[in-house]
Amino acid sequence: MAVHSIGVIGAGTMGAGIALVCARKGHRVHLLDTNQDVLNKAQSYLLEVLSKDVQKGRISKQQKEQTYRLVVPVQDMALLKESDIVIEAVPERLELKKSIFASLTEVCRSDSLLLTNTSSLSITEIAGGLTHAERILGFHFFNPAPVMPLVEVVRGKQSSEQNVTRAYQFARDLGKVPVVVADTPGFIVNRVARPYYNEALRILGDGIAEVDQIDRIMTLAGGFKMGPFELQDMIGIDINFATTESVYTNFFHEGRFKPSRIQQRMVQAGKLGRKTGEGFYDYSK
Amino acid sequence: MTTASKTVLLTGTSPLYSELLQLLKEKGYRVVSLAEMAENRTEIRFAVEVTNLDLELKKAAIRELDGKLPANVPILTTSLAITATEVASWTQCPARVCGFGTLVPLAERELIEIAPALQTAPSVLEQAEAFLQSMGKQTEVVVDEIGLVFPRILSLIINEAAFTVMERTATAQDIDTAMKKGTNYPYGPLEWADQIGLDDVYAIIRGLHRDLGEERYRPAPLLRKLVLAGRVGKRSNQGFYQYEPKEVSYR
Ligand SMILES: NC(=O)c1ccc[n+]([C@@H]2O[C@H](COP(=O)([O-])OP(=O)(O)OC[C@H]3O[C@@H](n4cnc5c(N)ncnc54)[C@H](O)[C@@H]3O)[C@@H](O)[C@H]2O)c1
Repeated sequence: MAVHSIGVIGAGTMGAGIALVCARKGHRVHLLDTNQDVLNKAQSYLLEVLSKDVQKGRISKQQKEQTYRLVVPVQDMALLKESDIVIEAVPERLELKKSIFASLTEVCRSDSLLLTNTSSLSITEIAGGLTHAERILGFHFFNPAPVMPLVEVVRGKQSSEQNVTRAYQFARDLGKVPVVVADTPGFIVNRVARPYYNEALRILGDGIAEVDQIDRIMTLAGGFKMGPFELQDMIGIDINFATTESVYTNFFHEGRFKPSRIQQRMVQAGKLGRKTGEGFYDYSK
Repeated sequence: MTTASKTVLLTGTSPLYSELLQLLKEKGYRVVSLAEMAENRTEIRFAVEVTNLDLELKKAAIRELDGKLPANVPILTTSLAITATEVASWTQCPARVCGFGTLVPLAERELIEIAPALQTAPSVLEQAEAFLQSMGKQTEVVVDEIGLVFPRILSLIINEAAFTVMERTATAQDIDTAMKKGTNYPYGPLEWADQIGLDDVYAIIRGLHRDLGEERYRPAPLLRKLVLAGRVGKRSNQGFYQYEPKEVSYR
């Protein structure tokens, strides 16, 4: 099925990046946000990135203009009526996402593909009770969306195989690397990566090695690009802790995912990593 | 150094054995086996023991080394499936036992971890560090616990990936792709496991589960079964993936 028009809901960090990814491939995008300031910011972001592309000789000035104009900022969901594909990227709150999908079900054609960029909510729960739930899937980009190649295509309990294939192909057409995963807590990446942080915290807590030692070991012995503690500082310790808690809760407290008290104390102390100037390392100097 | 001062006894059955043998030879060491211990008794300066999966075999080898080698010869043992402290407890001369641990391929390891047992003499630890450094590796000394740091963390990532395949949440390929493209891992966990040897990975997780007694360390049933079936990865042409049979290599 040809894709002519795409709707992106939420023009924040992820939404703006996703709109750029789509526009770069020549798709017309309606970028929806309830907040006009956010829409303005998203547009400045697009201009900034595309201008850099011109400076680096990746695209012509004309291409920049064309790409920029493909993204149309809107505030009214009715304008997404003709969208072949809608990607939702509003804040991670179940009730908000459910209400958005309920509205989309009213507004969009029954054969449109409705995708959510959720990191931790159940696709099946978001789609529960809606008509044509077979076209509701997860489509999980990684931050920053224009840079990170992966998209996890998440198959909800009611998603149809045909729509999984469509979403997979769409990710490919966007130049991304898709993988398919069942609707389970943390999907693939946020689940399989848990021990990288959690076990490092456990090793620290059990007094086996220190923060800088563990980072040195994981990079020099393991070949990882960043150690688990410098990586937590970069991601944000609060974000990392929230992901662990969510995976732990949604696996009904499976012991493998048990969060770390050390990490919780860091969050309580407001030592969240680089963004606050201090986390496992001190960045204030 | 004279030839005598560079004689090392190497024994064990893990994938580390053949790689250590090659590396020791490259670095100019003379390597003798357990069977050759008697006639080289006075020349052996260091013993290295690397069995992980079969702990009865490990115990027998350690007891033999401890019984026959002069008390001043350090025994470096892998503390991947069992703590160095427990290995040392099997001996008459626990002060000479020191743990270490890493995973193959050694060429990719810039650093190797060392974990002294509670009983290890400080001079033995120093010798262990110098020995591993003489093989061109940096060292980091950590407290003795099963799997040390890198082998433990990586094994638990692999264990989680094994649960994910077992439950049919995603295919092995997709899991590996996701971890490389979504979070910049150098290898996907399952292809990595096949390269390391599933037997070593399983031995670590089983050891953590046995000693720490937590659900957190429960080995994925699929991983255990693959090891029991001898599908330990690349070296048996089958693990999480199937490989083309390659020419038989000698040891
Ligand atoms: N930031 C990340 O690293 C990351 C990575 C992968 C996935 N995600 C997921 O992407 C989603 C968005 O995350 P984000 O970081 O971009 O959040 P964000 O806060 O930067 O952006 C969300 C935007 O949604 C807008 N919004 C709120 N209610 C709305 C409504 N009813 N209609 C339209 N727009 C509305 C907000 O104004 C805001 O601009 C979340 O589900 C998150 O879990 C985030």
